[in-house]
Amino acid sequence: MIVLVLAFALGITLGLLANLSVPAVLLTYVGVAVLAALDSCMGGIRASLERTFDDKTFIFGFVSNTLMAGFIVFVGDRVGVRELYLAAVVAFGVRLFDNLGAIRRLFFERMGWE
Amino acid sequence: MRLKAPLPSKRTLEVIRDESIRALKASERAVEAQFHGARLVASLALGLVLVGFLLVAQWKGNVSRSGDLEAQSNQELAIIIQEMTGQNDALRMEVLRLEDRVRDADVQGKSTGAALNRAAKEVGELKVVAGLVDVVGPGIALRISDADRVLLPQDFVSIVHELRAGGAEVIAVNGRRLGPHSGFSGGDGVIKIDGMSVGPDYAVEAIGDPATLRQALEMPGGLKAMMSAYDGVTLSVSEIEEIKVRSVVPRTGLAGRPVRNR
Repeated sequence: MIVLVLAFALGITLGLLANLSVPAVLLTYVGVAVLAALDSCMGGIRASLERTFDDKTFIFGFVSNTLMAGFIVFVGDRVGVRELYLAAVVAFGVRLFDNLGAIRRLFFERMGWE
Repeated sequence: MRLKAPLPSKRTLEVIRDESIRALKASERAVEAQFHGARLVASLALGLVLVGFLLVAQWKGNVSRSGDLEAQSNQELAIIIQEMTGQNDALRMEVLRLEDRVRDADVQGKSTGAALNRAAKEVGELKVVAGLVDVVGPGIALRISDADRVLLPQDFVSIVHELRAGGAEVIAVNGRRLGPHSGFSGGDGVIKIDGMSVGPDYAVEAIGDPATLRQALEMPGGLKAMMSAYDGVTLSVSEIEEIKVRSVVPRTGLAGRPVRNR
């Protein structure tokens, strides 16, 4: 758990140090991609708590979710339905909170707080 | 090769084999579990590093975008334009309202100033008439010599009336200013103004239009002609460009008081 928190902190530090900012055109893409990646991570933590974690599934899911999110935004842009990215946002948002709830439940179970 | 020791029974061998297999499997599972745990943490950590990195990059990009109109969609731009138009209208109304107030204040200030000026002028004029201030102006000087002392107070009243009719604003006799309360008295060759005797030579000064005043005195059958007929009385009228007349001390303890309007 500590390792994961440190990893997240490391990512933020790297981002701050890199002095890299997403160009305005790609903001929606990266935004949705971030959401997808976050959802994947939550899913991974949940799976690890449920002892069903599989690293191949996680990595594949992480990459495919992120790419798919970007693709949906791209398609929406091209087709003229810019708001299509909202579909990805809603989907990943719902999943995110779903995973978060499961993690909380599992964590409490593990701690015997239930 | 010959085995000296007796061979273990088949049963014993089977037990040993099973034990070994179990141990091996347990060891494999342990290794697997260790490895699995490491991979779990590693992949999750990698994912979180990526998420953190992207999050910050996105954050910065979004912050730098604020105020960047190019990044806005037409719809968003339309909304911005609408909002700004509304704000402009409101500001324009405010400007008009304030301009109105400025104009009002200006007009009010001007009228107040004008009223004050008028009032000040009026007060000045009233002070002149009331004899409260020293006055300088053009006028005439009427010199009367009454060697035989035949003039009566009424004659001076006539003179004053005549001068007033000729537009005299300020009148003084022998340097004594005639105020609103002044009066002539005396008799038997003695003329008193406000109780003080003057004469027998008199210098009457009047401020006003010199030509009109002279005309008032010298008209045919007028005052000068009449008084010149008295024994020993001589009169001479001269126009003067600048006469200065001192003020009188106003009387106090008046019985009357002003009627207030409304």
